[in-house]
This record gives sequence, C-alpha cells and structure tokens, in this order.
Amino acid sequence: MGLLSRISLIFKAKVNKVLDKAENPNETLDYSYERQLEQLQNFKRAIVEITTSKKRLELQSAQLKADIDRMETQARQALAAGREDLARVVLTRKATAQQQLDDLNTQINTLNDQQQKLADAEARLSAKIEAFRTQKEVIKAQYSAAQAQVRISEAVTGISEEMTDIGTAIERARNKTAAMQARAGAIDELVNTGVLADVTQVGGGNDVDRELARISASASVDEELARMKAELGAPQQHQTLPPPGPSSSQS
Amino acid sequence: MIVRIQGEGQWELDQTQVAQLDKIDNEMVEVVDANNTARFAALLAEMLDFVRKNGRKLAPDEIAASELILPPADATLEEVRELFQDEGLISV
Repeated sequence: MGLLSRISLIFKAKVNKVLDKAENPNETLDYSYERQLEQLQNFKRAIVEITTSKKRLELQSAQLKADIDRMETQARQALAAGREDLARVVLTRKATAQQQLDDLNTQINTLNDQQQKLADAEARLSAKIEAFRTQKEVIKAQYSAAQAQVRISEAVTGISEEMTDIGTAIERARNKTAAMQARAGAIDELVNTGVLADVTQVGGGNDVDRELARISASASVDEELARMKAELGAPQQHQTLPPPGPSSSQS
Repeated sequence: MIVRIQGEGQWELDQTQVAQLDKIDNEMVEVVDANNTARFAALLAEMLDFVRKNGRKLAPDEIAASELILPPADATLEEVRELFQDEGLISV
C-alpha cells in the first residue's frame, strides 16, 4: 500500500468518527449547523491558547537574550580588570546560553508558521460553515428526500473533513508547544541552579558575580584612597600638576 | 481528483497529475523503508509543491470530500513510519 493511501485511510477513519457523532443529518440540518458553529468556537479558543503559549516562549527568549547581553558586559568588565580567566568563564557560559536561545528561536519560528496555518484553516472552516448554512436552506427548499440525502451527506462529510484537519493541526501544534515549553522550562532550571550562568544578577551570589564584585569594590577602594591622599597632601599633589600655584599667586 | 494537504487545504488534480503523484508516492514508500530522513524531507516538499503548483486550489467556501490525504508539510519520517508499523508493513 502506498504512503498516501495509508495516510488517507487513517485520516478518513478520523473523519468517520466525527461523522458518527453527528445525528442523522437529514433530520437535523439545523442542529448540524449549530454543532459546526460550536466546534468553530472550540477551535478558536484552542488557537488562542496556542498563541498564548507561544507568547510565553517569546518572553522567555527575550529574557535569555537580556541575560546574554549582560554576560557580554560582564566579560568586558572582567577583561578591563585584567581578568581574562574570568572573562573566559563568562564567555563560555554565554556561548551555552546563546545556543539555547538559537534553539528556542528556531522553535518559535516553527510555531509562528503553524499559527499562521491554523488561522488560515480557521478562515477556511468559517467560509465552509457559512456556505453550509446557505446550502442547507437550498436543500430544504428544492430537493426530494433522496436527493437531499446525497447532498447533505456530501456537505457534512466535506465539513467534517475540514474539522478533522484543523483538529489534527491543533493537536500537533499543542504537542509541539508542550515539547518546547518543557525544554524552555529546562533552560530556566539551568539558569536557576546557576549551571547556565546567572552571572548577571547583583548579589546573585555565584562565583563570577563575587569575583567581579570584589574587583569592582577593590577598584573603588583604590579610587577613594587616591582621593583621600590627594586631599591630605594637596600641596604636593598640586606641584605635580600643570602650574596653577605660581600663576594664582601672581594675580 | 480532490486531494487535501493536511493543514493547508484542498486541490483538484487531473488524471495525469494523479499519476505523477503516484510515482512520488512509490518512491516515498522506499525512502521510508530505508529510513532515509534527508530524502524523505526533500521528496515530501517535492510532492506538496507539485500539488500546490499544478492543482486547482479549492475556494474556502467549496465544500468537498477529498479522495487522497497528503501529510502536512512538517511531517517527519518517524511520524509516517509509525503509520506503517501499525500495519506491520515495516518490520523493526
């Protein structure tokens, strides 16, 4: 059996399940239409849900990006302080985080595509349901029972197929989102445990943080000492500077 | 013949085009059997492009049942393999 025949069989089995749930459509054209509208609302809700999940992933991606930017700054600070070893540690962590970010962004792009396709599918289903509404009135008015049965069956099968398709697409998107969130959750976990490098938060308390804080503290102590020395030994200090002393005494 | 690309919509193909599709389908079976991931992706893209380019796209408000269902563009070889394993066509 060919691939397509196999896929078609499985898909049509799903469509039939949807159809089996429907009442006898000949008796209940209006009821069938009502159900279609309900189902459309369900799909709309599901699509919103997926959009929300995607937004959460985007926030996570933005957060990771901000962390990476801060790591960059820290690496520069460390290098400026002559601590190449520390800069190397920060940059190594930054590389890991960057990899995670790239991965996350690729997945978000995939999800964007899927979201667009779901929106298109929803529009198709809406259009078909609207067409069904018109057709059912025509069928009621113009056809004999036997003819109507065939027409109704065609219309209902066509709509059910569309619904099965959008349902399957939503299911796939949901699975994909769940997998992504699990991975994004794992990234958070790494950040929280400091493995990935939350080197950036003030008082965050990991090794690089403490080292940079120590460097910066000792630099500011040096500066303050220099300032105090300058105040105490003002005359000496001034002698080493360009000649304000003599010129001021002359005037 | 009306075919559906899952997640994308429906197209109408004539007999020659269906024959063409059938050829790709046959190669697809071999590729899945050989577990050739790269070729699978290329062949799937080729198959879907063929339908999109040559078929007549049904209007959104045209209600019709499809004779043939094609996999979604992002289907993986693993997903498709699972379908066959159910049938026992591929022994693992």
